[in-house]
Amino acid sequence: MTKIAVLAGGRSPEREVSLLSGHRVHNALAERDWEPVTIVPAETPLLQYLPAQGFGAAYIALHGKDGEDGTIQRLLDLIDLPYTGTGPLACETSFDKVLAKEILAAAGVPTPVWATIQASALRDLSAGHILNLVVERVGLPAVVKPARGGSAMGITFVDDPGDLPAAVMAALAFSESCIVERRIEGTEVTAGFLGTPAESLPLVEIVPRSGIYDYASRYTAGATEYFAPARLEPETAAAATAVALQAFQALQLRDVGRIDVMVDARGNPWVLEASASPGMTEMSLLPMAAEAAGVPIAPLCDRIIRLALERHPGGS
Amino acid sequence: MAEFSVDPNVSLYADRTSGMTASEVRALFAVASRPEVISLAGGMPYVQALPQQDILDVMTKVITERGSLALQYGGGLGQITLREELASLMAEEGIAGADPEQICVTVGGSQALDILGKIFINAGDQIAVEAPTYVGAISAFSAYEPEYISIRMDDDGMVVDDLEEALLAGARPKVVYTIPNFQNPAGVTLSHTRRERLVALCHDASIPIVEDNPYGMLRFEGEPLPTLKSMDPHNVIYVGSLSKVFAAGIRIGWAYADSGVLQRFLPAKEAADLCTSNLTQLIAEEYMGGERWRPNLLTLVDTYRRRRDVCIKALEEYFPEGSTWTHPEGGFYVWVTIPEHLDSKALLAAAVDRLVAYVPGTAFYTDGRGANQLRLAFCYPPEDDVAEGVRRLAELLKDEEKLYRSLTS
Repeated sequence: MTKIAVLAGGRSPEREVSLLSGHRVHNALAERDWEPVTIVPAETPLLQYLPAQGFGAAYIALHGKDGEDGTIQRLLDLIDLPYTGTGPLACETSFDKVLAKEILAAAGVPTPVWATIQASALRDLSAGHILNLVVERVGLPAVVKPARGGSAMGITFVDDPGDLPAAVMAALAFSESCIVERRIEGTEVTAGFLGTPAESLPLVEIVPRSGIYDYASRYTAGATEYFAPARLEPETAAAATAVALQAFQALQLRDVGRIDVMVDARGNPWVLEASASPGMTEMSLLPMAAEAAGVPIAPLCDRIIRLALERHPGGS
Repeated sequence: MAEFSVDPNVSLYADRTSGMTASEVRALFAVASRPEVISLAGGMPYVQALPQQDILDVMTKVITERGSLALQYGGGLGQITLREELASLMAEEGIAGADPEQICVTVGGSQALDILGKIFINAGDQIAVEAPTYVGAISAFSAYEPEYISIRMDDDGMVVDDLEEALLAGARPKVVYTIPNFQNPAGVTLSHTRRERLVALCHDASIPIVEDNPYGMLRFEGEPLPTLKSMDPHNVIYVGSLSKVFAAGIRIGWAYADSGVLQRFLPAKEAADLCTSNLTQLIAEEYMGGERWRPNLLTLVDTYRRRRDVCIKALEEYFPEGSTWTHPEGGFYVWVTIPEHLDSKALLAAAVDRLVAYVPGTAFYTDGRGANQLRLAFCYPPEDDVAEGVRRLAELLKDEEKLYRSLTS
């Protein structure tokens, strides 16, 4: 049996979510002839421990800063241990919404109009007056999001320009920069991808009971209804899947990932953001998508770990 | 097409669970629990000050001499011998001659609040609470779906004029809930004059007062004020706790009320858990029975006083203009008001990133207020950490202020 290090927890604000993901992945791997060992990076000296314990690969169930932004991936590269998912550079660019939006736009992927606000520009470049320009560019209603973060933390919906300073400050509490993005009303879906080349999983439609898919809607069981496949016309679903795949490729995600898409009232898809290390909890979207494709959690995790090992046959 | 049902019971839950959701703030506290973060968030008693040998002696004695009683079920009201000790403890706070038969031991003061909610509140009933008030009381009461009447606080505690005005305007609260001493979270104490007015007002209007007094014996300075219970024995339901005088981990609290209230309280308590743990009741009785708790309480009060001093000094030294804070004469908490345009909940992530944690003000209101307020608990970290935590927070506030100026210039 190959030992698999399930990396979970960490010190990002998504620590709790990550521990839930890790727990589920651990159990799934144990069901399929792997020997999983859950490791909380901040509490274990990884660079000494991982090489010494004879692990065959690492399953990255970390979310947010350090887990999804290339940091852990670079450490694992250093000790030559195969790991699941995307490589460091693509993690870094897909995790940072400022960079990801620019890459998507350059690749011609439809994404809502946005503007970037960087704290250092406000602090050091006397970029006052920025909000007026941002509103002019983006329009209202808008969504303000931290550049680096997940689980909808630090996100505010803004209808009134007077609420913008507070929303920007809330986002900057999580990250050095933030984006202000035009709010698209419509059907929220997510597209999961698995394998290389990427195969698309059925779209999952997200219907939060409160109307807003915030932290509480994401992690309170029953607070959100999910439909998989999404209740979209076949051609609308195909168009949404196509732009999501385009985004997945433009961002150079690998083996597994999720692209969030908003389908507007006319059926046009808009890519909102990407996740290189999607949640694997009971309430997470990628496992739902896989299940809708007939792949329950155990074979899903099995597949993801095999992809890592195949990609890196010489790994320790 | 499949609808994914994460929780198949979701349509079955009672309405009262609607507020019981996952929370971003709780997720941030999970990160804040790492050792390098100075937490000024949780109101944890400094139990390290308890002399370990005393506790061992007490526990050994309980097991060797009364083991079969300690490990058995007990009566719903609790052990009479403990209730006698609790009556003497209340006498120390000026409640003379409490009848042990009118005391019901509970699992911490929190359970007493939950049971009082259960026996008084129908959905939609009004209850009056201080604003801000104890977050645990809000959780306990909210399960019974009351309509809150929030009464403003100032440096002298609850503004009783506002309660009177509310009553004149037609409010009919079932009970008035107050923490008169070193209030959680505001740190303020209800003044003597206001105690008299509150007691008279509620007496005349026949509205019982729930007096929650976990911190009363942690006074650093000034003269103790009479408990509301001593001022109007029949109209006040007193909730006590050993969490701060002895240890939070033994989970011993109590309600002391007239027999009418107790007649309802007791079956509700028994329905919840049959009885409070005999084991911890007997440990509490042994510990509180001797004199050993007195020197330890003095040590605790002294420790908390020094931490309070350091906290206030650091606030004065480091905090930017535009913030204010209360000056607690006891207890665990300082309540800080920051400039209106700053949001303490939104800043929590940045604070944790800078290795300091606090509780955002909105947690202590029932109506969404408190965005520019926060609670600092000085009770647990050592003095140097209290000062350093306040300094880190001050730096954050200064930077946020600059950011705000720049954004709105």
